[in-house]
Amino acid sequence: MVNLSREENSNGTPAPGRVELRDIRDEDLIVMVQEGHKKAFDELVARYKGRLFSFILRMVKDPTLAEELTQETLIRVYIHAAKYREIAKFSTWVFTIATNLVRNKMRQRSRRPRVISLNPAPEDDEMPVDPADTAADPSEGIHREELAGLINDATSKIPEKYRIPFLLREVDQLSYEEIQQVTGLKLGTVRSRINRARNRFRQLIKPMLKNETLLQELERIEARAAEGKDKDF
Amino acid sequence: MRCHKAQDFISQEMDEHLPPDVTVNLTEHLDACSHCRAYRDDLLLGRRVMSATTPELPDNFEWKLQLKLNQTLQHTAGETVYPWAKTDQDKWRWFRNFGAAAAVGMAAVLALAMFVGPANAPRETGPDGNGGTPLGVVDATQSGAGGSDRLPLFTGRPTRGGLYSSGIQRPVAAGGSSRSAGGFLDRGWAGHDMEDLRTIQRLRHRNDQLNQVLFRQQQTIQGMRAHLDTIDTNALDLEQE
Repeated sequence: MVNLSREENSNGTPAPGRVELRDIRDEDLIVMVQEGHKKAFDELVARYKGRLFSFILRMVKDPTLAEELTQETLIRVYIHAAKYREIAKFSTWVFTIATNLVRNKMRQRSRRPRVISLNPAPEDDEMPVDPADTAADPSEGIHREELAGLINDATSKIPEKYRIPFLLREVDQLSYEEIQQVTGLKLGTVRSRINRARNRFRQLIKPMLKNETLLQELERIEARAAEGKDKDF
Repeated sequence: MRCHKAQDFISQEMDEHLPPDVTVNLTEHLDACSHCRAYRDDLLLGRRVMSATTPELPDNFEWKLQLKLNQTLQHTAGETVYPWAKTDQDKWRWFRNFGAAAAVGMAAVLALAMFVGPANAPRETGPDGNGGTPLGVVDATQSGAGGSDRLPLFTGRPTRGGLYSSGIQRPVAAGGSSRSAGGFLDRGWAGHDMEDLRTIQRLRHRNDQLNQVLFRQQQTIQGMRAHLDTIDTNALDLEQE
């Protein structure tokens, strides 16, 4: 059985083996997984779980489903580890698996019959994301979760063919070449789709960007993140 | 450089994917165009917001992953993931159980036939030349060299005076010869002898009679117990007084 638990000493500091694994490249870790080193897989999980979840959640918008698909991606990495060859970067391979899973899931969703409302509403895609509550009570401010929800809403309104390269670039920091490998698109197409998605995203979040409370919260979040990083170092 | 083209380049410049000469031209344009500068600022702010709102996984993610992975590995290995889940193996379990029971039953029947069969064989080719004599197992063993060499199935004689012994001890065979001394159980019933049928009927009748006797005795005992209870209660009452 695979043990994903972190090996830590009683004082909370990582075990020596863990420190060594941290310095190893992803491509070498997956080779270790192929050879049966289960701790190497734990390290890969620790490295990729957040990035995968972040990407998948912004694609499917449903946290439970996103968690499920993240698990599924990592399980497939473990089960099919023997199939990995170092002709591509490990990150490319992982995100190809995740992208395929997400695409399949979204295709399944689109096949479901839609419930048609008797009260016609304006097209969802056409409506910019508006943080309505902040105007009502500015003193309360916007919490991180609310801000994240608004951003997720905005992201989900970007058409899928633009959203995948955009998220792979913005969330997972893949290079254009890696995105090209994951999506199978031409490099020029990747470039133009990212550009279009960015422009669309800008239009969607424009009302939010004008909101002072939101900008203050954004600065607070960034400051807290910087403090956290300082503590880590 | 036109604004439309500049905005295309801004995205690439953010990703450091723009050739140096184009970057110089873009910088010049941005210095002169406030609209494109605002556009660039918006994109950078969008990136900041995106980075700041990275979703967090639940704390128990790794635990759930481990559980799911173990289940997947078990499933891949062909083991049953859930004990309550029906698998293809379960579908044939009844057949295996039935087959085992049938095999045991057949073995028992064969074993019985091996003991009973030779005992009936002398009926047709008996050593005494009578032909068709219903020799019992006991008789066959007692007949010496001419009989079967197998041990008898039932050698003990029913004790006299027992509750059910009287009916069984009666001679079964019609001839009343020494051949019938083994009793009904010793002989085995061939199923076609009218005398055996009559014996069964007699035994049933006797059984009914005995059941009636037993019922009457039980009633008597119940009456006596009730009477005894009454006596005890009276005695207790007397003591209390």
